[in-house]
Amino acid sequence: MRIYAEMAMPRGIDAGLTPCGTCGLTVRVTGSGRQYCPRCGSLIRLRKPDSIARTWALLIAAALMYIPANALPVMRSSLLGSESADTIMSGVVYFMHHGEWPLAAVIFIASVLVPLLKLLALIYLLLSVQRRSTIRRRERTRLYRITELVGRWSMVDVFVVALLAALVQLGNLAHIEPGLGATAFASVVVLTMFAALSFDPRLIWDHQEPSTDER
Amino acid sequence: MAGIVAHQSMETLHVTALHPLHVCHECDTIQRVPTLAPGTVAHCRVCGAHLFSNPRGGLNTPLALMLGATLLFILANAYPLITLDLNGLRHTTSLGGASLALWRNERPLLAAVVGFTTVLGPALLIFGTTYVLAALRWHRRMAGVATLLSWITRFQPWGMLDVFMLGVLVALVKLGSMAEIVPGVGLFAFAILIFVFAAAASTLDAHLLWDSYEDLR
Repeated sequence: MRIYAEMAMPRGIDAGLTPCGTCGLTVRVTGSGRQYCPRCGSLIRLRKPDSIARTWALLIAAALMYIPANALPVMRSSLLGSESADTIMSGVVYFMHHGEWPLAAVIFIASVLVPLLKLLALIYLLLSVQRRSTIRRRERTRLYRITELVGRWSMVDVFVVALLAALVQLGNLAHIEPGLGATAFASVVVLTMFAALSFDPRLIWDHQEPSTDER
Repeated sequence: MAGIVAHQSMETLHVTALHPLHVCHECDTIQRVPTLAPGTVAHCRVCGAHLFSNPRGGLNTPLALMLGATLLFILANAYPLITLDLNGLRHTTSLGGASLALWRNERPLLAAVVGFTTVLGPALLIFGTTYVLAALRWHRRMAGVATLLSWITRFQPWGMLDVFMLGVLVALVKLGSMAEIVPGVGLFAFAILIFVFAAAASTLDAHLLWDSYEDLR
Protein backbone atom coordinates (compact mmCIF):
# COMPACT_ATOMS: atom_id res chain seq x y z
CA MET A 1 0.00 0.00 0.00
CA ARG A 2 1.28 3.43 -0.86
CA ILE A 3 0.53 6.67 0.90
CA TYR A 4 1.44 9.81 -0.96
CA ALA A 5 2.13 13.12 0.68
CA GLU A 6 -0.88 15.34 0.95
CA MET A 7 0.15 18.35 -1.08
CA ALA A 8 3.00 19.71 -3.11
CA MET A 9 5.16 22.22 -1.29
CA PRO A 10 8.22 24.34 -2.09
CA ARG A 11 11.69 22.92 -2.38
CA GLY A 12 14.15 22.54 0.44
CA ILE A 13 16.87 24.67 -1.10
CA ASP A 14 14.48 27.67 -1.29
CA ALA A 15 13.21 27.28 2.27
CA GLY A 16 16.63 26.57 3.81
CA LEU A 17 15.61 23.03 4.77
CA THR A 18 17.57 19.92 3.87
CA PRO A 19 17.56 16.27 4.86
CA CYS A 20 20.71 15.13 6.66
CA GLY A 21 22.66 13.02 4.19
CA THR A 22 23.27 10.32 6.80
CA CYS A 23 20.21 10.05 9.05
CA GLY A 24 17.57 11.91 7.01
CA LEU A 25 16.60 14.39 9.74
CA THR A 26 15.11 17.58 8.33
CA VAL A 27 17.60 20.31 9.26
CA ARG A 28 17.22 24.08 8.96
CA VAL A 29 20.31 25.52 7.32
CA THR A 30 21.41 28.73 9.04
CA GLY A 31 24.23 31.09 8.06
CA SER A 32 27.13 30.18 5.85
CA GLY A 33 29.41 28.33 8.28
CA ARG A 34 29.85 24.60 8.70
CA GLN A 35 26.83 22.98 10.27
CA TYR A 36 26.48 19.53 11.78
CA CYS A 37 23.40 17.37 12.15
CA PRO A 38 22.03 17.69 15.71
CA ARG A 39 21.02 14.02 15.68
CA CYS A 40 23.89 12.09 14.08
CA GLY A 41 26.69 14.67 13.92
CA SER A 42 27.28 14.46 10.15
CA LEU A 43 28.29 17.52 8.15
CA ILE A 44 25.18 19.11 6.62
CA ARG A 45 25.27 19.88 2.92
CA LEU A 46 22.54 21.23 0.66
CA ARG A 47 23.98 19.26 -2.26
CA LYS A 48 26.64 16.58 -2.59
CA PRO A 49 30.01 18.40 -2.93
CA ASP A 50 31.31 18.99 -6.49
CA SER A 51 28.85 16.41 -7.68
CA ILE A 52 29.23 16.96 -11.43
CA ALA A 53 33.04 17.21 -11.48
CA ARG A 54 33.51 14.19 -9.21
CA THR A 55 31.04 12.04 -11.11
CA TRP A 56 32.73 12.92 -14.43
CA ALA A 57 36.17 12.11 -13.03
CA LEU A 58 35.05 8.72 -11.73
CA LEU A 59 33.19 7.94 -14.95
CA ILE A 60 36.17 8.75 -17.17
CA ALA A 61 38.38 6.56 -14.98
CA ALA A 62 35.81 3.75 -15.19
CA ALA A 63 35.52 4.09 -18.98
CA LEU A 64 39.31 3.84 -19.32
CA MET A 65 39.45 0.74 -17.12
CA TYR A 66 36.63 -0.82 -19.16
CA ILE A 67 39.13 -1.44 -21.98
CA PRO A 68 41.67 -3.61 -20.08
CA ALA A 69 38.75 -5.19 -18.20
CA ASN A 70 37.50 -6.68 -21.45
CA ALA A 71 40.79 -7.12 -23.31
CA LEU A 72 42.91 -8.76 -20.59
CA PRO A 73 42.22 -12.29 -19.32
CA VAL A 74 40.26 -12.47 -16.08
CA MET A 75 41.79 -15.88 -15.34
CA ARG A 76 44.38 -18.36 -16.57
CA SER A 77 43.70 -22.03 -16.19
CA SER A 78 45.82 -25.09 -16.74
CA LEU A 79 43.90 -28.33 -16.88
CA LEU A 80 45.85 -31.57 -17.40
CA GLY A 81 48.70 -29.71 -18.99
CA SER A 82 46.68 -27.59 -21.43
CA GLU A 83 46.80 -23.87 -20.72
CA SER A 84 44.06 -21.36 -21.52
CA ALA A 85 43.20 -17.75 -20.76
CA ASP A 86 39.64 -16.50 -20.31
CA THR A 87 38.29 -13.01 -20.86
CA ILE A 88 34.85 -11.79 -19.76
CA MET A 89 33.41 -12.46 -23.22
CA SER A 90 34.95 -15.91 -23.55
CA GLY A 91 33.23 -16.83 -20.29
CA VAL A 92 29.89 -15.96 -21.90
CA VAL A 93 30.80 -17.89 -25.06
CA TYR A 94 31.80 -20.91 -22.93
CA PHE A 95 28.31 -21.18 -21.44
CA MET A 96 26.69 -20.67 -24.85
CA HIS A 97 28.70 -23.57 -26.31
CA HIS A 98 27.68 -25.81 -23.46
CA GLY A 99 24.01 -24.98 -23.97
CA GLU A 100 23.74 -23.13 -20.65
CA TRP A 101 21.75 -20.26 -22.11
CA PRO A 102 20.30 -18.85 -18.87
CA LEU A 103 23.79 -18.66 -17.34
CA ALA A 104 25.25 -17.14 -20.49
CA ALA A 105 22.52 -14.50 -20.30
CA VAL A 106 23.15 -13.81 -16.59
CA ILE A 107 26.89 -13.34 -17.13
CA PHE A 108 26.39 -11.28 -20.28
CA ILE A 109 23.88 -8.96 -18.61
CA ALA A 110 25.81 -8.59 -15.34
CA SER A 111 29.32 -8.30 -16.80
CA VAL A 112 28.91 -6.68 -20.20
CA LEU A 113 25.56 -4.94 -20.49
CA VAL A 114 25.14 -3.49 -16.98
CA PRO A 115 28.56 -1.75 -16.75
CA LEU A 116 28.13 -0.32 -20.25
CA LEU A 117 24.54 0.86 -19.70
CA LYS A 118 25.54 2.27 -16.33
CA LEU A 119 28.31 4.37 -17.91
CA LEU A 120 25.94 5.60 -20.62
CA ALA A 121 23.12 6.36 -18.15
CA LEU A 122 25.36 8.44 -15.89
CA ILE A 123 26.85 10.31 -18.86
CA TYR A 124 23.33 11.08 -20.07
CA LEU A 125 22.28 12.28 -16.59
CA LEU A 126 25.36 14.51 -16.29
CA LEU A 127 24.87 16.04 -19.74
CA SER A 128 21.16 16.66 -19.17
CA VAL A 129 21.91 18.39 -15.84
CA GLN A 130 24.66 20.49 -17.40
CA ARG A 131 22.31 21.52 -20.21
CA ARG A 132 19.73 22.56 -17.58
CA SER A 133 17.15 20.29 -19.09
CA THR A 134 13.69 20.43 -17.52
CA ILE A 135 12.11 17.56 -19.38
CA ARG A 136 11.46 14.01 -18.16
CA ARG A 137 12.65 14.71 -14.64
CA ARG A 138 10.72 11.85 -13.08
CA GLU A 139 12.05 9.38 -15.65
CA ARG A 140 15.61 10.61 -15.21
CA THR A 141 15.33 10.27 -11.43
CA ARG A 142 14.06 6.73 -11.91
CA LEU A 143 16.97 6.01 -14.27
CA TYR A 144 19.34 7.20 -11.55
CA ARG A 145 17.63 5.03 -8.95
CA ILE A 146 17.97 1.91 -11.16
CA THR A 147 21.61 2.74 -11.95
CA GLU A 148 22.40 2.98 -8.25
CA LEU A 149 20.61 -0.31 -7.52
CA VAL A 150 21.93 -2.70 -10.17
CA GLY A 151 25.62 -1.73 -10.19
CA ARG A 152 26.72 -4.15 -7.47
CA TRP A 153 25.50 -7.20 -9.43
CA SER A 154 28.35 -6.73 -11.90
CA MET A 155 30.70 -8.08 -9.23
CA VAL A 156 29.41 -11.59 -9.91
CA ASP A 157 32.18 -12.41 -12.42
CA VAL A 158 34.88 -11.26 -10.02
CA PHE A 159 33.45 -13.59 -7.38
CA VAL A 160 33.38 -16.48 -9.86
CA VAL A 161 37.08 -15.94 -10.62
CA ALA A 162 37.90 -15.69 -6.90
CA LEU A 163 36.02 -18.94 -6.16
CA LEU A 164 37.60 -20.83 -9.05
CA ALA A 165 41.06 -19.64 -8.03
CA ALA A 166 40.36 -20.74 -4.44
CA LEU A 167 39.03 -24.18 -5.41
CA VAL A 168 41.03 -25.30 -8.43
CA GLN A 169 44.40 -25.63 -6.72
CA LEU A 170 45.30 -29.25 -7.57
CA GLY A 171 48.92 -28.73 -8.51
CA ASN A 172 49.93 -29.94 -11.98
CA LEU A 173 46.58 -31.61 -12.56
CA ALA A 174 44.43 -28.51 -12.51
CA HIS A 175 45.25 -24.95 -11.58
CA ILE A 176 43.42 -21.62 -11.99
CA GLU A 177 44.82 -18.21 -11.19
CA PRO A 178 43.22 -14.76 -11.41
CA GLY A 179 44.29 -12.50 -14.28
CA LEU A 180 44.92 -8.78 -14.40
CA GLY A 181 41.62 -8.38 -16.27
CA ALA A 182 39.77 -9.32 -13.08
CA THR A 183 41.40 -6.46 -11.18
CA ALA A 184 40.55 -4.05 -14.03
CA PHE A 185 36.98 -5.33 -14.11
CA ALA A 186 36.52 -4.99 -10.35
CA SER A 187 37.84 -1.42 -10.59
CA VAL A 188 35.20 -0.62 -13.25
CA VAL A 189 32.46 -1.87 -10.90
CA VAL A 190 33.85 0.01 -7.89
CA LEU A 191 34.46 3.24 -9.86
CA THR A 192 30.96 3.27 -11.38
CA MET A 193 29.46 2.58 -7.95
CA PHE A 194 31.35 5.57 -6.54
CA ALA A 195 30.29 7.63 -9.58
CA ALA A 196 26.61 6.81 -8.94
CA LEU A 197 27.03 7.66 -5.25
CA SER A 198 28.66 11.03 -6.00
CA PHE A 199 25.92 12.09 -8.42
CA ASP A 200 23.23 14.19 -6.76
CA PRO A 201 19.77 13.48 -8.26
CA ARG A 202 18.45 16.76 -6.84
CA LEU A 203 20.44 18.54 -9.55
CA ILE A 204 17.91 17.11 -12.03
CA TRP A 205 15.21 19.17 -10.29
CA ASP A 206 17.25 22.31 -9.58
CA HIS A 207 16.24 24.16 -12.74
CA GLN A 208 12.60 24.65 -11.97
CA GLU A 209 11.38 27.32 -14.39
CA PRO A 210 10.45 25.70 -17.70
CA SER A 211 13.15 26.84 -20.08
CA THR A 212 11.93 28.92 -23.01
CA ASP A 213 13.70 26.67 -25.45
CA GLU A 214 13.16 22.99 -24.72
CA ARG A 215 16.58 21.85 -25.77
CA MET B 1 9.94 19.48 18.27
CA ALA B 2 10.60 16.43 20.38
CA GLY B 3 7.58 17.31 22.47
CA ILE B 4 5.26 16.22 19.69
CA VAL B 5 5.98 12.62 20.44
CA ALA B 6 4.26 11.88 23.70
CA HIS B 7 4.31 8.11 23.89
CA GLN B 8 6.23 5.98 21.52
CA SER B 9 5.58 2.32 22.08
CA MET B 10 7.89 -0.34 20.72
CA GLU B 11 5.17 -1.91 18.65
CA THR B 12 3.94 1.07 16.68
CA LEU B 13 6.56 3.67 16.07
CA HIS B 14 5.11 6.84 14.65
CA VAL B 15 7.78 7.47 12.14
CA THR B 16 7.07 10.99 11.04
CA ALA B 17 5.59 12.50 14.17
CA LEU B 18 8.96 14.04 14.96
CA HIS B 19 9.37 15.66 11.60
CA PRO B 20 6.07 16.67 10.08
CA LEU B 21 7.96 18.35 7.25
CA HIS B 22 10.01 16.01 5.15
CA VAL B 23 12.44 17.00 2.40
CA CYS B 24 12.85 14.42 -0.37
CA HIS B 25 16.47 13.29 -0.71
CA GLU B 26 16.12 12.78 -4.45
CA CYS B 27 14.18 15.84 -5.69
CA ASP B 28 14.32 18.23 -2.69
CA THR B 29 10.55 18.71 -2.48
CA ILE B 30 9.22 19.63 0.95
CA GLN B 31 6.15 17.68 1.84
CA ARG B 32 3.98 16.88 4.80
CA VAL B 33 3.86 13.14 5.31
CA PRO B 34 1.10 11.66 7.47
CA THR B 35 1.96 9.27 10.29
CA LEU B 36 2.39 5.90 8.64
CA ALA B 37 0.34 2.94 9.70
CA PRO B 38 2.40 -0.21 10.31
CA GLY B 39 3.16 -1.98 7.06
CA THR B 40 2.92 1.09 4.85
CA VAL B 41 5.46 2.98 2.75
CA ALA B 42 5.65 6.69 1.93
CA HIS B 43 6.78 7.71 -1.54
CA CYS B 44 7.68 11.21 -2.68
CA ARG B 45 4.70 12.76 -4.42
CA VAL B 46 6.85 14.53 -7.00
CA CYS B 47 9.58 12.04 -7.98
CA GLY B 48 8.29 8.78 -6.46
CA ALA B 49 11.35 8.18 -4.27
CA HIS B 50 11.00 5.81 -1.32
CA LEU B 51 10.90 8.25 1.61
CA PHE B 52 10.45 5.81 4.46
CA SER B 53 8.38 2.92 5.66
CA ASN B 54 6.91 1.75 8.92
CA PRO B 55 7.41 -2.03 8.82
CA ARG B 56 5.18 -4.23 10.91
CA GLY B 57 6.68 -5.78 14.01
CA GLY B 58 8.58 -2.74 15.33
CA LEU B 59 12.08 -3.64 16.41
CA ASN B 60 11.35 -7.20 17.56
CA THR B 61 11.03 -8.81 14.12
CA PRO B 62 14.24 -7.39 12.61
CA LEU B 63 16.14 -8.10 15.84
CA ALA B 64 15.07 -11.75 15.82
CA LEU B 65 15.99 -12.11 12.16
CA MET B 66 19.33 -10.33 12.59
CA LEU B 67 20.23 -12.60 15.52
CA GLY B 68 19.56 -15.54 13.21
CA ALA B 69 21.66 -13.90 10.49
CA THR B 70 24.51 -13.38 12.98
CA LEU B 71 24.54 -17.06 13.86
CA LEU B 72 24.34 -18.15 10.22
CA PHE B 73 27.11 -15.75 9.21
CA ILE B 74 29.42 -17.21 11.87
CA LEU B 75 28.58 -20.75 10.67
CA ALA B 76 29.08 -19.76 7.03
CA ASN B 77 32.57 -18.47 7.86
CA ALA B 78 33.59 -21.20 10.27
CA TYR B 79 32.73 -24.21 8.13
CA PRO B 80 33.97 -25.16 4.64
CA LEU B 81 31.94 -23.76 1.77
CA ILE B 82 32.74 -26.14 -1.09
CA THR B 83 35.10 -29.08 -1.62
CA LEU B 84 36.37 -29.95 -5.08
CA ASP B 85 37.11 -33.63 -5.73
CA LEU B 86 39.02 -34.61 -8.87
CA ASN B 87 39.73 -38.33 -8.85
CA GLY B 88 40.50 -38.32 -5.15
CA LEU B 89 42.48 -35.08 -5.19
CA ARG B 90 40.60 -32.68 -2.94
CA HIS B 91 40.67 -29.00 -2.27
CA THR B 92 38.37 -27.12 0.11
CA THR B 93 37.58 -23.43 0.40
CA SER B 94 35.73 -21.31 2.93
CA LEU B 95 33.98 -17.97 2.47
CA GLY B 96 37.16 -16.07 3.28
CA GLY B 97 39.13 -18.45 1.07
CA ALA B 98 37.97 -16.67 -2.08
CA SER B 99 39.64 -13.45 -1.00
CA LEU B 100 42.67 -15.31 0.40
CA ALA B 101 43.26 -17.10 -2.92
CA LEU B 102 43.51 -13.74 -4.69
CA TRP B 103 45.96 -12.49 -2.09
CA ARG B 104 48.16 -15.59 -2.55
CA ASN B 105 48.10 -15.07 -6.32
CA GLU B 106 49.54 -11.57 -5.95
CA ARG B 107 46.32 -9.68 -6.57
CA PRO B 108 46.21 -7.64 -3.34
CA LEU B 109 43.79 -4.99 -4.67
CA LEU B 110 41.33 -7.58 -5.90
CA ALA B 111 41.71 -9.52 -2.65
CA ALA B 112 40.86 -6.35 -0.70
CA VAL B 113 37.73 -5.63 -2.78
CA VAL B 114 36.49 -9.23 -2.57
CA GLY B 115 37.38 -9.51 1.13
CA PHE B 116 35.54 -6.32 1.96
CA THR B 117 32.40 -7.07 -0.05
CA THR B 118 32.06 -10.71 1.06
CA VAL B 119 33.42 -10.85 4.61
CA LEU B 120 34.26 -7.51 6.26
CA GLY B 121 31.37 -5.45 4.84
CA PRO B 122 28.69 -8.06 5.57
CA ALA B 123 30.19 -8.63 9.04
CA LEU B 124 29.93 -4.91 9.77
CA LEU B 125 26.34 -4.79 8.48
CA ILE B 126 25.17 -7.94 10.29
CA PHE B 127 26.94 -7.49 13.64
CA GLY B 128 26.47 -3.71 13.59
CA THR B 129 22.74 -3.87 12.89
CA THR B 130 22.23 -6.54 15.55
CA TYR B 131 24.10 -4.45 18.13
CA VAL B 132 22.17 -1.29 17.25
CA LEU B 133 18.82 -3.09 17.28
CA ALA B 134 19.59 -4.65 20.67
CA ALA B 135 20.52 -1.26 22.11
CA LEU B 136 17.36 0.37 20.76
CA ARG B 137 15.05 -2.52 21.65
CA TRP B 138 16.09 -2.55 25.31
CA HIS B 139 16.60 1.24 25.54
CA ARG B 140 20.23 0.87 26.49
CA ARG B 141 22.62 3.74 25.85
CA MET B 142 25.40 1.54 24.58
CA ALA B 143 28.60 3.00 23.16
CA GLY B 144 28.92 3.67 19.45
CA VAL B 145 25.27 3.28 18.45
CA ALA B 146 25.20 6.52 16.41
CA THR B 147 28.56 5.79 14.75
CA LEU B 148 27.50 2.26 13.84
CA LEU B 149 24.15 3.46 12.51
CA SER B 150 25.75 5.93 10.13
CA TRP B 151 28.32 3.32 9.05
CA ILE B 152 25.56 0.81 8.35
CA THR B 153 23.79 3.34 6.12
CA ARG B 154 27.00 4.22 4.32
CA PHE B 155 28.25 0.67 3.72
CA GLN B 156 24.88 -0.76 2.69
CA PRO B 157 25.69 -1.10 -1.06
CA TRP B 158 29.09 -2.71 -0.33
CA GLY B 159 27.78 -5.80 1.40
CA MET B 160 27.44 -8.20 -1.52
CA LEU B 161 26.43 -11.54 -0.02
CA ASP B 162 23.56 -11.95 -2.49
CA VAL B 163 25.82 -11.24 -5.47
CA PHE B 164 28.37 -13.71 -4.08
CA MET B 165 25.65 -16.38 -3.88
CA LEU B 166 25.02 -15.92 -7.61
CA GLY B 167 28.78 -16.21 -8.14
CA VAL B 168 28.80 -19.50 -6.18
CA LEU B 169 26.05 -20.90 -8.43
CA VAL B 170 27.90 -19.90 -11.62
CA ALA B 171 31.18 -21.34 -10.32
CA LEU B 172 29.45 -24.61 -9.40
CA VAL B 173 28.05 -25.00 -12.91
CA LYS B 174 31.49 -24.28 -14.39
CA LEU B 175 33.19 -26.85 -12.17
CA GLY B 176 30.40 -29.41 -12.35
CA SER B 177 31.60 -30.70 -15.70
CA MET B 178 35.23 -31.25 -14.67
CA ALA B 179 35.11 -32.51 -11.08
CA GLU B 180 32.90 -33.67 -8.27
CA ILE B 181 31.62 -30.96 -5.95
CA VAL B 182 30.89 -31.56 -2.28
CA PRO B 183 28.86 -28.75 -0.69
CA GLY B 184 29.97 -28.00 2.87
CA VAL B 185 28.06 -26.95 6.00
CA GLY B 186 29.16 -23.40 5.27
CA LEU B 187 27.34 -23.39 1.94
CA PHE B 188 24.03 -24.43 3.51
CA ALA B 189 24.42 -21.82 6.25
CA PHE B 190 25.29 -19.24 3.60
CA ALA B 191 22.27 -20.05 1.42
CA ILE B 192 19.87 -19.72 4.37
CA LEU B 193 21.69 -16.57 5.48
CA ILE B 194 20.81 -14.86 2.17
CA PHE B 195 17.09 -15.30 2.83
CA VAL B 196 17.21 -14.43 6.53
CA PHE B 197 19.30 -11.31 5.85
CA ALA B 198 16.96 -10.19 3.06
CA ALA B 199 13.96 -10.74 5.34
CA ALA B 200 15.64 -8.72 8.10
CA ALA B 201 16.46 -5.90 5.68
CA SER B 202 12.85 -5.74 4.51
CA THR B 203 11.61 -5.26 8.08
CA LEU B 204 14.07 -2.45 8.75
CA ASP B 205 13.91 1.24 7.98
CA ALA B 206 16.86 3.51 8.62
CA HIS B 207 14.62 6.45 9.56
CA LEU B 208 12.83 4.31 12.09
CA LEU B 209 16.14 3.37 13.71
CA TRP B 210 17.27 6.99 13.84
CA ASP B 211 13.95 8.04 15.33
CA SER B 212 14.19 5.46 18.08
CA TYR B 213 17.83 6.46 18.61
CA GLU B 214 16.65 10.05 19.19
CA ASP B 215 14.21 8.68 21.75
CA LEU B 216 17.03 6.96 23.55
CA ARG B 217 18.94 10.16 24.19
